[in-house]
Amino acid sequence: MSLPSLVPLIGIADVVIGLSLGSRLFLIAVGLSLIFGVLGVLNFAHGGFYMLGAYVTLAVVTSVVDNFWLAAVAGALAVGVVGAVIEFAAIRRLYDRVDADLDQLIVTFGFVLVIHETVRFVWGSGSYSIDPPDVFNFSVSLGGSTFSAYRLVVIGLAVAVLASLWLFITRTYFGSLVRGTSSDREMAAMLGVDVPRLYTGVFFLGSVLAGLGGALSSPLQSTSPALGDQVIIDAFIVVVIGGLGSMSGAFVGAMLIGMMQSLGPQFISAGSIAIPFLAMVIVLLIRPEGLFGGIGE
Amino acid sequence: MSATDTGGRVRAFGAAVADGWTPERFGLLAAIGLVLLAFGPTFQVYLFTDFLVVALFALGFNLLYGYTGLLSFGHGMFYAGGAYGLAIVLRDLSPVVADVVGAGIAPVATFVVGGIVGLALVVAVAVPVGWLSVRLEEIYFALITLAFGMLGYSLIIQDPAGLTNGTDGVIVLLGSVDLGAASVRLGGRQVYYALTVVTVLATTYGVWRVVNSPFGTVCKAIRESPDRASALGIDVRHHRWMTFIVSAVVVGIAGVLRAGLASVASPGLTHWSTSAIAVIATVIGGATYFSGPIVGAFVFLYIRWAISRFPTLEAYWELFFGALLIAVVLFFKQGAVGGLLLLRDRLLGDGDAGGGDSGGGSEAADSGDGAATDGGRAADDAITDGGTGAATDGGPTAGAPGDDSRPHRGDDS
Repeated sequence: MSLPSLVPLIGIADVVIGLSLGSRLFLIAVGLSLIFGVLGVLNFAHGGFYMLGAYVTLAVVTSVVDNFWLAAVAGALAVGVVGAVIEFAAIRRLYDRVDADLDQLIVTFGFVLVIHETVRFVWGSGSYSIDPPDVFNFSVSLGGSTFSAYRLVVIGLAVAVLASLWLFITRTYFGSLVRGTSSDREMAAMLGVDVPRLYTGVFFLGSVLAGLGGALSSPLQSTSPALGDQVIIDAFIVVVIGGLGSMSGAFVGAMLIGMMQSLGPQFISAGSIAIPFLAMVIVLLIRPEGLFGGIGE
Repeated sequence: MSATDTGGRVRAFGAAVADGWTPERFGLLAAIGLVLLAFGPTFQVYLFTDFLVVALFALGFNLLYGYTGLLSFGHGMFYAGGAYGLAIVLRDLSPVVADVVGAGIAPVATFVVGGIVGLALVVAVAVPVGWLSVRLEEIYFALITLAFGMLGYSLIIQDPAGLTNGTDGVIVLLGSVDLGAASVRLGGRQVYYALTVVTVLATTYGVWRVVNSPFGTVCKAIRESPDRASALGIDVRHHRWMTFIVSAVVVGIAGVLRAGLASVASPGLTHWSTSAIAVIATVIGGATYFSGPIVGAFVFLYIRWAISRFPTLEAYWELFFGALLIAVVLFFKQGAVGGLLLLRDRLLGDGDAGGGDSGGGSEAADSGDGAATDGGRAADDAITDGGTGAATDGGPTAGAPGDDSRPHRGDDS
């Protein structure tokens, strides 16, 4: 690692790849953060939801309709339904317990195992990959380096998701109910908010986001049953660094980790995979509420 | 409760069976069983040794979860700490130890030195990691231990110090003890089984002494209500830190045994999915009972083995445990031990379900693994647990009306 060799290594491609990795992380982490911010549930199965979104999209593209975007929507909605059912059937029973947090973590971990094995049962242990939609299936050359044009699409979509979520939370009636319930559940209930229904709705939305993340990322990764376990840990890092419950925090945290994954190995040869975990430990100790706190910020 | 004719007969039968079965007799029976098992089929000896190691792992984990209410998702790092300590000493220091004690008993001496080094490593990690982690609670504690565990995983994989041999791990060769006339292979199934039984029993007894000491009582008070314990003048954070260290050492001992059993110390031991095994075993067994993690480990390994008998199902055993985990947390938080206690009370016709009195008895036999001394403890915990009302089964609630003093009675230690 000599100094002169550093500068030319940071190509535009590395930055674009870092941002697209960050966008992928954002799409999974934002739903996790939303669910934690409103329901107080840390959903261990969120990585499984993401993986399920990718699998359903692949299945729809290959055997139902040969349109990636329709398939992605189908994948996201299917995962949303799975999430809503899990919230309704299992997680809902735990809200009033003394040690609700840990019981919810353990139950959602149980769903990690169930989803993992179900996916393996239906689609087998092999890995699948898919081409980006034809319109974006070409390479871009910029500053002497090349990358898939679809990466730019994913970055754009992540920004669009952040913007529409922000508008949804701050500008709509449902968004105000979500914010109110998130800051004071009892008061919201007393004012006539149907809290259980709202919780199911938010869990549905968070799950849709996870499924959408998996669907949109499927051209960038190989989809295998191990995918869920890999991304959930990255998502935990992102939401902790950004602040559990914060959506803009999830965005910044995701971009940080994405850039770290893309550029890190070129700077520090040893220990680069340890750095995100070290960052997570430090943030938890110094600022447990994350670098950016609060829902809707 | 309607005492039908059949129910009466079942109870009479249960009482007749239980009659005269003192804890001492159960202890003797368990000891004979343990000795006999050494002469069973090799695979069964291996499976039981595996069970003992996982049971100790879960027992150590549950010191923290069941007794202070902190859920760690990073205890794999201490499992690996013990394993790597042993493996690295065996690899690098065998000749040195052999020079000191002579070639004959060198393998045993190296094993002991390796175990001590492993535990020293575990303590060296657990003291600062625990000190930092106990500043957080609940989800945040789970997250920081997860992060520490994965930090350890990353370091072992990347191996900056050149000690851990990256993703391949370190091979563990236990060697043979040469006693002149006879040569004993330390890694032989029966020898290693005996070594494991003795170590696990001794450690379990030690843990039992700890949880029944004044220290353990304070821990349970913290689990029931950290705020109330704090108001009583207990330094909650300090107690959690000390429990963290003891818990890490117990897991480290299990890690040393794991390395010898698996003949390798591999990075996977620090991965969060290994830490999750302790969570699964403990929750399934019943976290509020001393014997919960032990019974849970038994259920985990033997059901997995039973599933593996059916080739079509074998690949999907995790599905079963995922579903079981969900069902236990949702509907029966006392887990397998709570279920066994309930069954015992039904059989003995003890209408006061959940309120064990004399201890010992059939529950200890059900754990069947040498933890025969924990009956009294488990019965006490059943009472405490009933008091918190966390469960949905009929046991604690059935006895509740007009019986307010019961939940507070259980502290005899």
